[in-house]
Amino acid sequence: MRKMLMLVVVLVLSLTLTSSAFAYGSAGCGLGGIVIGNDPGWKQLVATFLNGAIFSNQVFGITTGTLGCGKPIWASNNDRLNQFVVANMDNLAKDIAMGKGETLDAFAELMEVPTAERAALYAKFQANFATIFPSENVVLADVVDNIVIVANN
Amino acid sequence: MREANARVYRALCSVYLFFALCLTLSPATAAAEADYPSTLVEAGRALRLADERYWNILLHYKKSGSGRESLVDDPVFFLSPAGKTDPEAELEATISGLFQGPELGDDHPRCRFPARSAWLVEQLSIDASRLTPVVCAAYDESMRNITMRSAVLVFPAAHGNGPASMFGHTLIRIDSTVQSDLMSYAVNYAAKMEDDSGPVYIFKGLFGFYKGHYSILPYYEKVKEYSGIEHRDIWEYRLNLTEDEIRRMVMHIWELRQTYSDYYFFTENCSYNLLFLLEAARPSLDLTDPYRNRARFWVIPGDTIRTLTENNAVASVKYRPSLATGIAVRARALVADEQVLAVALAEGRMKPAEMGGRTSSPERTAPVLDLAAEVLQYRYSKKELDREVYLQRYLSVLRARSTIAETSKDLSAIAEPPTQPELGHRAARLAMGAGWRSTNERRWFADLSVRPAYHDLMDPDDGYVEGAQINFFDLGARYEPDKGSLTLQKMHIVDILSLAPRDRFFAPVSWKFSTGLDRVLMKDGSERLVFRVNPGGGAAYRFPGRGLIYALFESDVQLSNVYEDRMSLGVGPSVGLDVVPSGRWKSSIQAAALAYFLGETHRIVSGIFMQSWMIDANNVISLKAKREKTFRHYGTEAVLSWNWYF
Repeated sequence: MRKMLMLVVVLVLSLTLTSSAFAYGSAGCGLGGIVIGNDPGWKQLVATFLNGAIFSNQVFGITTGTLGCGKPIWASNNDRLNQFVVANMDNLAKDIAMGKGETLDAFAELMEVPTAERAALYAKFQANFATIFPSENVVLADVVDNIVIVANN
Repeated sequence: MREANARVYRALCSVYLFFALCLTLSPATAAAEADYPSTLVEAGRALRLADERYWNILLHYKKSGSGRESLVDDPVFFLSPAGKTDPEAELEATISGLFQGPELGDDHPRCRFPARSAWLVEQLSIDASRLTPVVCAAYDESMRNITMRSAVLVFPAAHGNGPASMFGHTLIRIDSTVQSDLMSYAVNYAAKMEDDSGPVYIFKGLFGFYKGHYSILPYYEKVKEYSGIEHRDIWEYRLNLTEDEIRRMVMHIWELRQTYSDYYFFTENCSYNLLFLLEAARPSLDLTDPYRNRARFWVIPGDTIRTLTENNAVASVKYRPSLATGIAVRARALVADEQVLAVALAEGRMKPAEMGGRTSSPERTAPVLDLAAEVLQYRYSKKELDREVYLQRYLSVLRARSTIAETSKDLSAIAEPPTQPELGHRAARLAMGAGWRSTNERRWFADLSVRPAYHDLMDPDDGYVEGAQINFFDLGARYEPDKGSLTLQKMHIVDILSLAPRDRFFAPVSWKFSTGLDRVLMKDGSERLVFRVNPGGGAAYRFPGRGLIYALFESDVQLSNVYEDRMSLGVGPSVGLDVVPSGRWKSSIQAAALAYFLGETHRIVSGIFMQSWMIDANNVISLKAKREKTFRHYGTEAVLSWNWYF
């Protein structure tokens, strides 16, 4: 009996080991917004069945306004840009601090900043990093406002 | 005057004719309108449209017994109740469906199945003016906003330390108006799983108890998931599809978006189902049939990339290093002291303000801070840091970084891409060998083994993750001419060895899990098959040059009728060293000592020495020598094999 028990223990241990090796986290939003679940990784193979994106209307529609005109495009109901910033806040902050990066490029494109003006804008963002991200408790709306302020200065 | 008369006459004539036509034709037209769908159904039958390739692609029909059956399991995908198994009935139901009333709106068959509708309209030359005008608000709105710039097959490569990822995964990316790839749409097919435990999960996965769904996400979500959390490099294969072809694919994606199919891990999986989308885009691509017709029934994501390359559908390849790869690449550009500095910053043992003068030159300050920021992101993704601590350190590092005006180097520019996965060896292996074995008796033997998938430590590393071994259903038989005996040597259901090197930045646990049948030496000196479960865990480190050195603590349960209590349970250490002296030559030495203390008590001490020489990607010559002591018997064997990957 004791032997069977030991056997069971070993098998359970080995399975636990295996499933812990399957473990990943899962993606979340915002600065530091990686929500890490305790779900074994194979469950992460499940992509949330999000029927938005390609087939939804709201995410489209960046229509007018460029920073050059001094008109912040944030005024428009720009879900797509907001979603992007919320989901990529950490990388955006990193790119701004480093002065370049793919996330920053995507951000600039969504803001309809002409390619020729980007390098100058990036330098401006970099120099004003502390203004854009004043503290770790900064929220999306503040970051967005701060970026607009910096860009329009 | 004459002319004028003639004109009037002609005009009157036309008016007359018009009325005459109207009068004579209107009842007939009404009848024809009513009959039009049935005429078209007749025409469709005469043209045998249900047998046309494109119809079978769009409905995912595949041969099944004497008939055909769709691989889509959701009844919603069909207009005819018999649609899943009857292509003709579905075709006829769809033709009739085209003429349903406009009040259905978005639920109208023409709105739900735009690809099918468009194809039928074209094939049957349906007069568009005779179709009831239908407003597909949702569909039109979506399509209006999409510019079909390009389509990319995305392959997040295996992640060394996680078996769920070892085969890799594929998804399709549709690049639209926004130039940034991050804003593209990722079309993903994946199983929706419930909260099941490991064995239940495996059973359900193998036998189709999970439902597979297509989902569409912004590509940045997938990049975050694979690159930033799972730390898997991503390969992007841009396809040479035209705008029209991509449009057809998107139309078909629309048809599939709210349906499900039973998901089978090995066959009808993520990669296989995406092939239908590519066939819908370009029907001349024959992608889904070859996988069903060949003896090998499983679909490995890496194979589908190979299939596309062979079909000349790939225009270009892009490598996207993961966060972890990025850390390794950035670290390589720094000296050891600077790497230590980056770790100290990430661990909060030093503040960015205290860095002055500690780097080898002032220009190195920015790269050290870049590295520190990414190490922080990595540790946070691994749950090693609380959110507050992470954010506070991350922002202080970035704040310091932002005061240095220089821009950082593009990671993609400094990261040298490894061998593309599709250029590595094929996943199935056939090995033929000859050898000699000595126990209580000495004899020659010939070995034959087949392994359907996937990668062994001694297989060539190109295109695979270093140190990640995963063998499925490795089956080996031995013929001994002296005895004239043919015996089963091994049947490893699964054999995983994950050696993930630890260093200054990463501290992964290396582990193994192996289960199946093995022929082992018994107390009486005979050799018998036992069923064993052999897990273990430990650590691995890089060996100077190219190689890995590792130590594991293993346990081993063996079941056999011959054993006392029919079992033997042992534990003990194992060590190994794998080196790659040259690009073509691999060498490995392993030793293990296990004490079996429960059931049949005994000890096994073994040493294995292996060499493999790569002729080309799919042909390898290997030599394996082994010596072991079990009970009081010594076993020594050496075998020279030719390994062919197919």
